[in-house]
Amino acid sequence: MKKKLICTMLAGVMAASVLAGCGGDGKTAAGTVKDEDGITIPEKITVMVDGTLVTKSNGQQEFIDRWEELTGIELEIIQPDHSAYYDVLGQTIASGDWPDVMLLSPTYYTGYVEEEALWDMTEAWENSELKASGRINNEELIDNLYIDGHLYGFATARGNGCVTYVKKKWLDNCGLDVPTNYEEYIEMLDAFTNGDPDGNGVNGDTYGVSAAGLIGVEEPYVNYLPEFYQDAYSSFYQKEDGTWADGFTEDSMKEALQRLKDAYEAGYIDKESLTNATSDCRTKFYEDKFGVFTYWAGTWATNLKTNLANNGLDSELVAIPPIEELGAYLERRPAVWAITTQCENPEGVFKYFIENMLDGGDMQTLWTYGVEGTHWSTAAETVCENTYEEGEFHMLESLESPGTQYTKNNIDPMLSIGDYIDADPGANQIAEEARESQEIFNENSTLAPSVKSTDEMSQFNGDLTTLKNSIIADIVTQGMSVEEGYQRFEDEGGAEWSQKIVDSLNEE
Amino acid sequence: MKKTKSANAAVAAPKSTLKNMQKYKGFYLMFIPVLMFTVAFHYLPLAGISLAFTEYRGVKAPEFVGLDNFVRMFEAPGFWTAFLNTLKLSVVKLLLNTLMAVVISLLLNEIKNMAFKKTTQTIIYLPHFMSWVVTVSVFSLILSPSQDGLVNTLLVNAGILEQGQEIYFMGSKDWWTSIFYIINVWKDTGWGTIIFLATLSGISPELYEAATMDGGTRWHKIRYITLPALSNTIITVLILNLAKVMNLFESVFVMQNDAVIQQADVLQTYIYTQTFNSGALPNYGYTTAVGIVKSLVGCVLVLVCNQISKKIRGRGII
Amino acid sequence: MAKVAVKKKKKITVFDVVNTIVFILISLLILVPIWKVLVDSLDLRTSYGMSLWPKEFGFDGYITVFSNPTLYKPFLISVVTTVCGTALGLLLCTLGGYVLIQWKMPGRNILAGLLLFTMIFEGGMIPTYLVVNKMQLTNTLFSVIFIPAINIYNLVLMRNFFEGIPNALFEAAEIDGCTPMQIFYKIVLPLSKAALASIGLMFAVTYWNDYTNFKIYITNADLYNFQMKLRSMIMGSDLPTALGGATENTVKNAAVMVAIIPFMIVYPFCQKYFISGMNLGAVKE
Repeated sequence: MKKKLICTMLAGVMAASVLAGCGGDGKTAAGTVKDEDGITIPEKITVMVDGTLVTKSNGQQEFIDRWEELTGIELEIIQPDHSAYYDVLGQTIASGDWPDVMLLSPTYYTGYVEEEALWDMTEAWENSELKASGRINNEELIDNLYIDGHLYGFATARGNGCVTYVKKKWLDNCGLDVPTNYEEYIEMLDAFTNGDPDGNGVNGDTYGVSAAGLIGVEEPYVNYLPEFYQDAYSSFYQKEDGTWADGFTEDSMKEALQRLKDAYEAGYIDKESLTNATSDCRTKFYEDKFGVFTYWAGTWATNLKTNLANNGLDSELVAIPPIEELGAYLERRPAVWAITTQCENPEGVFKYFIENMLDGGDMQTLWTYGVEGTHWSTAAETVCENTYEEGEFHMLESLESPGTQYTKNNIDPMLSIGDYIDADPGANQIAEEARESQEIFNENSTLAPSVKSTDEMSQFNGDLTTLKNSIIADIVTQGMSVEEGYQRFEDEGGAEWSQKIVDSLNEE
Repeated sequence: MKKTKSANAAVAAPKSTLKNMQKYKGFYLMFIPVLMFTVAFHYLPLAGISLAFTEYRGVKAPEFVGLDNFVRMFEAPGFWTAFLNTLKLSVVKLLLNTLMAVVISLLLNEIKNMAFKKTTQTIIYLPHFMSWVVTVSVFSLILSPSQDGLVNTLLVNAGILEQGQEIYFMGSKDWWTSIFYIINVWKDTGWGTIIFLATLSGISPELYEAATMDGGTRWHKIRYITLPALSNTIITVLILNLAKVMNLFESVFVMQNDAVIQQADVLQTYIYTQTFNSGALPNYGYTTAVGIVKSLVGCVLVLVCNQISKKIRGRGII
Repeated sequence: MAKVAVKKKKKITVFDVVNTIVFILISLLILVPIWKVLVDSLDLRTSYGMSLWPKEFGFDGYITVFSNPTLYKPFLISVVTTVCGTALGLLLCTLGGYVLIQWKMPGRNILAGLLLFTMIFEGGMIPTYLVVNKMQLTNTLFSVIFIPAINIYNLVLMRNFFEGIPNALFEAAEIDGCTPMQIFYKIVLPLSKAALASIGLMFAVTYWNDYTNFKIYITNADLYNFQMKLRSMIMGSDLPTALGGATENTVKNAAVMVAIIPFMIVYPFCQKYFISGMNLGAVKE
C-alpha cells in the first residue's frame, strides 16, 4: 500500500520525464541503411564525455565536423563541466533521456553494469575487425574489463599512473647514481635532506620527497609514495588464488608504515604531506624545496620540466625505474566507453563510434591529435617559438590559452592500445622527456586491483577507509607506534568491518 | 468595502474574513509571483523527499525500502560523531562570525573620516570573493611549520617557540578547530557586516544628536540607540542561519586531513566519504534521507529559537 | 544644533585613534593572504613562500588571462545573468517582504510559513534537476537566473528592513487613497535604499560568483559564465591539454585576482547608499 503511494507520488514528478525520455527524440529513427556487414548505419549518435575531449572553446565543432565527414553520421556531444561530470551524468540518466554512448570511470562502469544500464558488447567486440586485425597491443587491458564473462565497456588507452622523478642536478651535486633499491633510495633522501643538493651553500634547507597526502584518496591509493609502500596495498584486492584480502591487515602494510614513520621522523618526507594539495607539491618542487617527486608519467614530465626551467633551475629530471623492492608502479584502471541499453542501434554505434576510434588511420588521428589545421598541422611555420619544416607534424597553438601548444586530444598517443596501420603520424612530435618517462612507466607497471561492491562494502568501507587513513596519519606524523595503531584498528571496529567485507567479497 | 449587503448573523464571522480578504486583494496579487517561484523551484522538487524511503541509483525505478535508509544512517559508526561535530563547528562559527560582524559594524560606524571608512569597508569584503580552495591553500602556507610559515617564524623570532618546535597548525588535533574558526572569521565576517551596516544607516541621526545634547557618552549612544536598533537584525540573521546549520561542507572539506578527521568530520563530508568509498553508484535515496535529517535539525533549531525570541521580544522572525 | 554636531566631529578622542589603529590592523590581517595571491600573480617564477615583492615581475599571467578570446562571451553572460537575476531577485524579495509586513492580512502567517518551510526543507539535487529539466529550462540562462532569484533568506531580511518604516506613513497613504502597489513603489521602495543596496549587492555577488548552478544546469559551454571559465583556469592546471606559456601558478593566481576586480570597480558606486541610507527624520516631523 505504502509502496504504491510512494510510486504514485514519484510518478507525478519523475516517471513522466523518464517515460518522455524512453520515446527517444528521433535519433536513429526511420531510414535504415545497412553496410556490407549487415549492420545498420546509425543516423545520429549522442555522446556524453568529460573534459578529456577537446572542449568547445578548443575547437570541438571542428572535431565534430571532421568526424561527421569521415563517417557520414551526425554526432552530438554533451560535455558537462569536468568537475561536475558524474553529477550531471547521474542526473541525465535519472531524467531518462540517455545518451547513446558515455565515458565512465571504473566505479561508474561496474555500477551501471550492476544496474543493467549498459549494452553487452561482448559479441560485437569478439567478432570485430579491430580485434581480428591484430593491431591491439594490449588486449589484456580489455580482458580486464570483462565482468562475469561479459564486456560492457571499451578502453582505447591505458589508464596511466605515477612514476618517480629525481632531479638530475641534485644527484650530481651529491655524487649519487639513480637508486635501484630501498637502501640506495633512503641514502639519496638522506643526502637530499641533510646535504646541499641544490648547491646554495646551506646544508639541510631541503628535503627528499613530498606528496599530496600520505595515502591517496582514490585508487590506487599507494601511488604517491610507492618506494615506501612497496608491495603493500591499503585496500581490498584479489589474490592469485582468487580469494580476496584486505591489504591493510597484512604484515607488508605494517612494515610500510614503519618505513614511512622512520622517514617522516628523519625529515626525509615533507612535514606537510598531510595537508598538501597536488598543486602545493608541484609549487614546492618548482621552487627546489625537494628533489624526488612521484607524479604522472608522460605529458607531465614536460610540464614539470618547463616549470622548473621557468624558475631558472636545472630542469633535467630522471624518471627512475621502480626500485627493486617495489618491482612495478601501479597503473590506474582506464576510463571506458560504454553504450547504454537505450541506444537503438548498439551494433552500429559500436562499429562506427567505438571501434572506429582505433581504425589505425584518419579517425584514430582525429581522436589522438585532433583536426588538421585546428589542432595539428604539417605546414612550415613557427608555433609558440618552435619552428617546423614543411611536412613536419606538429601541434598548434591552443585556441583557449594562447601561448601554449596542444598536446593531444582524447587518446594519449603513448598510452593508446591500438597501433596505426602505417606509422603514427605524430610519433615524432612527442617530447623526449615525456616519451622516456612514459616508456619507463609502461614497461614497469601492473594494473591496480579492481574493486567489486557488496552490501557490506557500501555499508562499512567509508568508515573503514577513514579509520585506516587516520591510523596511518597517527602512526606517521603523530608519534603513535605501529602496534598502537593496529590496536586502535582492533578497538574501533576496523578489523571487524574489514573481515565482514572480505567475507562478503569471497562469498560472491 | 462597499459590498456585504446580506448581513446574516450565522455567517458573520466568515463574511468578515472575506471582507478583510477583499481589503487585502492587492497584496494577494503581489504575492503571486513569489508564490509561483516558490512552488516551481521548491515545492515541486519536494515530492522527491519520498525518495528517502527508497533505494534509488538513478537507473531503475526507485525501490521502496521503508525506513532502511534512516536505520542505516543512524547505525553508521561515524554518524553521531559527525553529527555532533557539525552542530558544534557550525553553531560556534555562526555565533563567532555574527558577534565579530556586529562589533566591526559598530566600530566602523564610529569612523568619521569617510575616505578611510570606505576603504576599510571595501577591504573587509574582499575575502568573500576568494574561493575556499584558494583561501585554505594560502592559510596553509601562512601556518606552515616550515621556514616559509609566517606565523611560526614570528613565534620563533618572538622567542615564544624554539627553533624546531614549530607547530603544524593544520595537521594538529589540538589546533585544528581554532584554526577553522579563525579562517571562517577571516573569510566571512566582513561580508556579514553588510546587513548590519545597512541597518545602522537607517538610524536617524537626530537620535544621536539628541543624545549628545543630553550629554550622553559614546557608550550610552551605542547602548541605548544603536544596539536596540540592531537587535532585530541580529536575531533575524542568527535564526535564519540556524536553518542551514547542518549544511556545513565546503569549508570543512578543503580543510580537513587524515590527522584531524575525528575533530573535523562533519555530516556532509562523512556522507561524501561513505558514498565515495562504497564502490557503488550513489544511492539518492540515502542522500535524501540524510537531507531530511539535516532539515529536521534545522527546523527544530529555528522553531525553538523563534519561540525564545517570541517570549523575550514579543515576536518571531517571520 | 548643526553647529554643535560639526564641532563635535572635529574633536578627535583617544577612542578615535584606537579605533583607527584597530581598523588598520584588521585591514592588514585581511590583506596579508590576498597580498600573497597578488604577488604570485605578478611573479613569473613559481614561489611557494611568502614574499613582499615578486622575484621576477611581469604581467604575463594577466596577459594570458585577458588574451584568452574565449573569456569575452562568458563575461557578457555574467553581466546579463547578474543584472537580470539581481533585478528579479530584488523584485521577489521586496514584493514578498512587503506582503509579509501586513500583519493583519488573513492568511499572512500561512504564507510566511509556506516560505520559511522551503528554506528548511528541500527536495534535493536530483528532484530539483528533474523539475527544471521538465520545465525545459536546462541549458538555458533562465535556469541560472530563476533558481537563485527566489531566496527566502534575503526575503526575510528585506521584510525586516520594511518593518522599520513607521506605520503612520502607511496609514497616511491609505487615507490618501493609495493602492497597495502605489504605497509599495511610492513609499516603501524609496525609503529602503540601504536595504535595496545591501540585499541587491548580496544578490549580485551570488549571481556573479555562481558556478554551482551553471555546472549542474548548463552543459552547453557556449552558455558558461565568467566564473566557470576562471574556475576551469584555476583548476585546469591539473588536466593539462596544452603546454608552455606563462607558469601555471602565475596564471592561476592572476585568474583569482581577476575574479575580484569587477567587484572592486562596481562597489564604490553602491557605497553611497549605505552611508546616506533612508532619511526617516523628515518624515517624522
